[in-house]
Amino acid sequence: MLETRRGLVLRGLDLSLSGQRVLHAVSLEVAPGEVVALEGPSGAGKTSLLRAAAGLLPCGGTILADGGHPALVFQQHALAGRLSAQENVLVGALGRLGFWRPALGLWPAAEVAAAEGCLARVGLAGLGDRRAAHLSGGQRQRVAIARALLQRARVLLADEPVASLDPKNAEAILTLLRHLAGQEGLAILVSLHQPDLARRFADRRLRIEGGRLWET
Amino acid sequence: MRRAAWLLVLAALYAACIAVVQPDLPRLWAGLPRLAHWLAGAFPPDFSGLPDLLRRAAETVAIATLGTSLAALLALPLALMAARPVAPIPALYHPARALLDALRGIDGFVFALIFVAAVGLGPFAGMLGVALHSAGSIAKLWSEALETADPAPVEAALSAGGSRAQAAAVILLPETLPQTLSALLYVWEFNIRASTVLGLVGAGGLGQELKNAVDLLDFARVLAILIIVIALVLAADRLSATLRRRLA
Repeated sequence: MLETRRGLVLRGLDLSLSGQRVLHAVSLEVAPGEVVALEGPSGAGKTSLLRAAAGLLPCGGTILADGGHPALVFQQHALAGRLSAQENVLVGALGRLGFWRPALGLWPAAEVAAAEGCLARVGLAGLGDRRAAHLSGGQRQRVAIARALLQRARVLLADEPVASLDPKNAEAILTLLRHLAGQEGLAILVSLHQPDLARRFADRRLRIEGGRLWET
Repeated sequence: MRRAAWLLVLAALYAACIAVVQPDLPRLWAGLPRLAHWLAGAFPPDFSGLPDLLRRAAETVAIATLGTSLAALLALPLALMAARPVAPIPALYHPARALLDALRGIDGFVFALIFVAAVGLGPFAGMLGVALHSAGSIAKLWSEALETADPAPVEAALSAGGSRAQAAAVILLPETLPQTLSALLYVWEFNIRASTVLGLVGAGGLGQELKNAVDLLDFARVLAILIIVIALVLAADRLSATLRRRLA
């Protein structure tokens, strides 16, 4: 993963899973402040592309990301239900912390303050103490975005972040992503199933089918 | 045809078992009057020296409690090494599982027998025996809880740059707390039952009193001890069940 000042740049990403080619030389760019929608049928390679770009799947090609490492927002928010919203956000800081302090729940004060700041940025100020399991679907997805923000990434990858939400919450989450791109200059690549939402919230739309990318 | 083959195999198995055990109904029949005589002699139960019996009962509870606690300490690293999603050293996954299977495979009674030879008579040997056997059982139950936990939050931690050890400590252990505590209580309750017989090999607790009474054919005393054992086991059973219900 190399740093760039151009948001996210993917060059010739190739990926095979279980002997099956899932990405064919995928190249794309997302500029800082830009929201790019990734569309395509189920099994087209959307999730694989995002996971490969996040470094979760080893692949061929080049990944250049502003801020060092893109942060991934998972489809089903991937929160730990028994942990508080704040603790879930703090998971985003694990990469720069040692073992013992997080293991004993002794998070550095600066990280706790940063986590609260991230919760405020996603509109959840004051809900840090609430268990993730007791939050609504929309709130959980916001916590997942706050966790990604605490990684201090300049690139956000969101894998169908509104798939399990009702229309009102889906719009609210996409408005939040738009806001983070517009106000904070994040480069955001988001996979979406709903073409109308992609039209309304994305600056550009890309279509992936059979592991190949097309601009729409 | 298949069913007939299975029945044949089953019949052969029973025939082999009977050949080894040699059940002898006439012998049982001949022994019954002796049993009845002992049973009649057991009434009323002899609770004399009750403080001594209660001290032995407390010893049994202490053996089970300390043994289970020590087992939990031993089980934690074993469980982590033997749980696929978090195993810090994947190459040690199979050796760790083999070790906990071996610990589970040897009964606490046998371990206690060995420890009595090594550290002498008394509850300390019993506690060590309970701890070693239970470490295998607890590690097995814990590793299964860790393996069946939702892997998504762990993956999120890994994608945020966290290590597997961090993910295990920060996410998996708190997430699986209801299951792991419940497993621990279950093993403790089992150990209270198991510890009542450890005295038979000189490893302390009520079993020691039981062995003395049986050796002296003092069945009134045997009955008194059995009543205390049953009360103890039922109390542990109820307490454990109540706590486990609250955790669920």
